[in-house]
Amino acid sequence: MRLTIEGIGKDFPGVTALDDVSFEILPGETHALMGENGAGKSTLIKIITGLYRPDRGRLLVDGKPVDFTSPRDAIAAGISAVHQERNLIPRFTVGENIMIERPPTRNGVIDFDKVHSEARRFLDMIDPTIDTRTEVRHLSVAQMQIVEIAKALSLEARVLLLDEPTASITGHEADALFAVVRRLRDEGKAIVFVSHKLEEVMAISDRVTVLRDGRIAAAGQPIAQMDRGKIVTAMIGREERVAEMGTRSVDRTKTVMEARNVATSLGHKNVSFQLHKGEILGLYGLVGAGRTELARALIGDARIVSGELRLNGNPVTIPDVPTAIRRHRLGYISEDRKAEGLILTHPIRSNIAISVWRRIASALGLITRADERRIAHPLVEKLEVKTPSIEQAVGKLSGGNQQKVSIAKWLAAGVEILIIDEPTVGIDIKTKTAIHELIGEITREGLSVLLISSDMPEMITLADRILVMRDFAIAGTIENTRRYEPMSREIMGLIHAGSADAAPAAETAHG
Amino acid sequence: MSQNRNLTFGQRFLANEWSALAVAIVIGLVTLATLSSAFLTEFNLYVMLRSFCVVLIVAFAQMLTLAVGQMNLSVGALGGLVAIAVGGMMEKWGFPVPVAILCGLAIGAGGGLINGLLTVRTGINGFIITLATASAFTGINLGITESIPFYNLPASFVAFGTGRISALPYLLLPPVLIAIALAFFLARTVPGRQLLAVGGNPQAAELSGIPRDGVIVMAHTLSGLLAGAAAILAVAQLGSAQPSIGVDWLLMSFAAPIIGGAALAGGHISVAATALAVVLIVIIQNGMVLAKVDPYWVQFLLGALILAAVGLNRLRAVRAGGA
Repeated sequence: MRLTIEGIGKDFPGVTALDDVSFEILPGETHALMGENGAGKSTLIKIITGLYRPDRGRLLVDGKPVDFTSPRDAIAAGISAVHQERNLIPRFTVGENIMIERPPTRNGVIDFDKVHSEARRFLDMIDPTIDTRTEVRHLSVAQMQIVEIAKALSLEARVLLLDEPTASITGHEADALFAVVRRLRDEGKAIVFVSHKLEEVMAISDRVTVLRDGRIAAAGQPIAQMDRGKIVTAMIGREERVAEMGTRSVDRTKTVMEARNVATSLGHKNVSFQLHKGEILGLYGLVGAGRTELARALIGDARIVSGELRLNGNPVTIPDVPTAIRRHRLGYISEDRKAEGLILTHPIRSNIAISVWRRIASALGLITRADERRIAHPLVEKLEVKTPSIEQAVGKLSGGNQQKVSIAKWLAAGVEILIIDEPTVGIDIKTKTAIHELIGEITREGLSVLLISSDMPEMITLADRILVMRDFAIAGTIENTRRYEPMSREIMGLIHAGSADAAPAAETAHG
Repeated sequence: MSQNRNLTFGQRFLANEWSALAVAIVIGLVTLATLSSAFLTEFNLYVMLRSFCVVLIVAFAQMLTLAVGQMNLSVGALGGLVAIAVGGMMEKWGFPVPVAILCGLAIGAGGGLINGLLTVRTGINGFIITLATASAFTGINLGITESIPFYNLPASFVAFGTGRISALPYLLLPPVLIAIALAFFLARTVPGRQLLAVGGNPQAAELSGIPRDGVIVMAHTLSGLLAGAAAILAVAQLGSAQPSIGVDWLLMSFAAPIIGGAALAGGHISVAATALAVVLIVIIQNGMVLAKVDPYWVQFLLGALILAAVGLNRLRAVRAGGA
């Protein structure tokens, strides 16, 4: 089956996620789809699998236009996918999950013996050790991933999309998966393989398509004509994309936060770093490298099991998040602003003042709007939040202005260290620059920032030094020269170090 | 589950979700039998079994909406409407009993279908939708009857409601058949499994090609159908079609499935545990009557029981999560 993607475009409020994307997926090939985070891969996959409908362009199956209104349509057309999110029913058995789309029946009744024997057949292709009668909720994450792949196989799709299929499985399991992928390809199926891991892509793909900023950077190039360098160049773009930040001078004599050989309950090992006053310390790594998890451990949301965390030179144990904020003046802005950071239906005023309600409350515990306004108004002015009124519901603001409100909230709380996770995800280029300037400015005023970002240009624009994380450990620390080309190559080198010369089997499982 | 094979019978029993219920029921039976000579008489057993029937079907009606992560606040209102509709059809229009019953069931299913379609089409929370339709159904009920019951029902119908073979009421037959059919439906049929799949992980179900909206509509429709069945049984039990049938169903409808371990988020319900929960509630009510306790305290005890059951399930979930 030939799947043609023709001039596909998709807009979200304020962002063009995909623009004029065209390429073709052929039967009997493994087609890698690559791109940095936010390049538009996920959106494209959701369009191909019927979750989103494109605003422009169309999909063609064997030359005939198709219009998918739901995942059912895509499955019926022979397209199935293993998505990054877990898509299993926790209380159903492995076998039933694999066969869920069309369970074998006899006289209208599900034939569970056949469910399990059929499921067994698909599971055996990858991992014969999983019992099909186990409930999925009792499996490990890696086992769930394998079940998902078996489930996709059972749909006998002619186009199979694998979105980061190796993100949570071991090298051994990945080898088994690749063998299956090769076999399916040889049977004439089209495999779309989405991965961050260059070595994997080089090893099993026939052709590669690269997306950058929602556009095609390389369309269906034969892998034989590509090498690592060419793919990286296509992903990050040739042109210098680092904005001028002005000269930054950081006084490195004063260390505000220091980790010494920290291990966490989430699986980090030997994490050591120093964050200086007024510094922006970058934390770069692939999805799943353990960056957000490290932030959670630092703010007391997960335990530090060994090693030492020092704040302003004093060893501390942070039992929970409120203590981190109140006693240690340590704040965290989540990547998921909407779910974890802001109360969307409440006005800007109370979203900013929420962190200081205890402080501004009167003796009777009452909080007045005037008090909240006194806190919020200067910050809204200072951070240039674009809004008709301070009473505007935060949900009605653009992503960039929501992010400003998040930062304002922590400034109001008087934090000294701020961990910012993916500050500009889903934010348009212009506002992005404004957020970057804002982060630069608050550090000049003495705040220290630990910046988590998967956006390479952002990292190189903002960070003074960059910690590169891989597999829940620090792979290296780089002084930022702010020269894009050599910096990005050095970072990519650290991320892929160790796996560069070895087979994909050398990739180890993540915590 | 593979890891359960190494456990002793006792451990497996304790891990089971309805073990606590079974223990509570046995304790209740033994205590009441010891304390009251009236408890184990044939007539008292008949009375208990009789009050079991309607409550069980009402509990099943709510259980099905809980299964998909929804709720049906209109069970009682819809039940009341079906009750007076069936009574009216038999008394005023002289419909034969089977025809009236079928029409009543159709009204119940239709009400549920309306709940389901409104929920899915508008995207408004099912809580609000069924709260509103509950008021509407009650309004129709009272508008038609002006609160006057239908008393003159066919003798055969009333006889079914009071007849018994020693301690076993005829009324027990429909709920037992419904329970068996439901257990089979949920365990072995494609729509039944789809219902639990949508409740267990809606997004996954949709990505697996299951029509999520259709399944939610089905759950509401079946819920309405069962509310109708419960209402017809209640009419037979009372011997008259009272407009007030259903007004006291709501608490019970949630209490039994939840005491039986249903997850409010959906995807996890048990026909057997729900039935056991109803047995326990009936025993407690009966015990209070025998002990001549003010019936209002039954309410209090039911509340305490719900809290205890939910707490127990929570504890079990936390322990299972840590393993």
